[in-house]
Amino acid sequence: MSKIGIIAVVCLAATVVSAAQDAPPLEVDPDPAPVLSGYLAFVPTWDSGNPTLVSIISPVVLVPLSRDFVVESRASFEGDFQQRNGNSGDFTGAIEKSLDYAEIDYIGNRYVTLTAGRFLTPFNIFNERLYPNWIRNTQTDPLIFPIGTGSDNGAMVRGGISVENDLNVNYTFYFSTLSTGKYFESERHAGARVSLFLPVERLEIGMSTQHVLQGTRVNRYGFHFQWQPARPPFEVRSEVAYSREEGKGLWAEGAYRFRSSPSPELSRLQVVARTQVFRLGTLPGSNPDLPSTDMKRTEFGANYYLTDGWKALASYGRTFTSAGDSNIWTVGMTYRFVIPLVPSQ
Amino acid sequence: MDGRDDLSICDSVGAKSMNLLKNILLLFMLGIVGGAFALPNEKRSDPSGSVASISSTERDAQWRLEGERRYRANCGRCHQAPHKLPPRAMAMAIRHMRVRAMLTDDDMKYILYYMTR
Repeated sequence: MSKIGIIAVVCLAATVVSAAQDAPPLEVDPDPAPVLSGYLAFVPTWDSGNPTLVSIISPVVLVPLSRDFVVESRASFEGDFQQRNGNSGDFTGAIEKSLDYAEIDYIGNRYVTLTAGRFLTPFNIFNERLYPNWIRNTQTDPLIFPIGTGSDNGAMVRGGISVENDLNVNYTFYFSTLSTGKYFESERHAGARVSLFLPVERLEIGMSTQHVLQGTRVNRYGFHFQWQPARPPFEVRSEVAYSREEGKGLWAEGAYRFRSSPSPELSRLQVVARTQVFRLGTLPGSNPDLPSTDMKRTEFGANYYLTDGWKALASYGRTFTSAGDSNIWTVGMTYRFVIPLVPSQ
Repeated sequence: MDGRDDLSICDSVGAKSMNLLKNILLLFMLGIVGGAFALPNEKRSDPSGSVASISSTERDAQWRLEGERRYRANCGRCHQAPHKLPPRAMAMAIRHMRVRAMLTDDDMKYILYYMTR
């Protein structure tokens, strides 16, 4: 059979599989309207005794072109202000600006969404789903975060399929081009992520892979796990990242929210613990954002949800390296906002 | 394949397997994209036709219950409950989350129904 014939059969099969699923139950949703969202964060951090005043403003703009076409974008303005003499003197530093994503999404049908433009690299889950400070339970980035993540310029196809309401299969395939333009940096690579989500058990596992198509052409692999039991207000998240050349590591985080406490004040409290490890690869320094030495870090923290949008936080961590151990402290506030850009109907 | 020097022999069985894998991956992706255009969005129809045996009140309660269940299972995994937004703003936010959080189409519709009523 010719390649065109095979492609036609596969296209037809995909259509038949799609059509065989149940129809959407609801057809009464309103037309979407533009929204301005985002967050503010002020998270002073003391790493090895040296304070850094981390201040972030990150607006998100969502604009519908139609019911099925959506434009969305997020920018970040981050100032990491440090004292001139390490731990004395006045604070100084530049504001770093970045365009995290600026993409157009087309909801093709129930199972396929196409994305083009600049998008967050779908490698593991932290980059896409947990990165904003108002979402993350622990404020410091995971040690392995620079492996395979960032922003891409290219195209992506993704979607989710429900299987009998007790299993969701999610997939993402993407390709990114090389770009060195200011605010538009991206790497030439291709990748995929597949995950399984059990909505009843609230358990998700997934795998990511990425092949770099420039320079040393490294391969990167990821594995993620997330579990949030339905009854106890407890959640576990974990990621593994592996690149033979860049390095490998994992982090695991558990968080407990005192939601069932009889005290309304205590029910707003969440305690969290995270431990992580990183090991250098065969080409140390090939990814300059990774630690320059083998490292372990364990952190304990607390988040207090003051209102729907405000969160107060504090954490303590200990970093272990062959060069010596050090403490890392954070304390701060985050605020999430959502502003409809059209009057309510 | 992954930068290893010992995989550079073009005529090896591994190379053929790799080509086969690439072809399968290519076909799979083309199939998905083809499916996206071959199957248009379902037209908005009166949903009462499929559940004529129950009243609209019961149906509304069922949909809201299912929406809450899906909301807790999906949205609650990553973040706290969002503001109560106007329906059109929520219709925008849920599309954003469909992409960002990998919601299925059914999740999107049930959650939107729950969050706007």
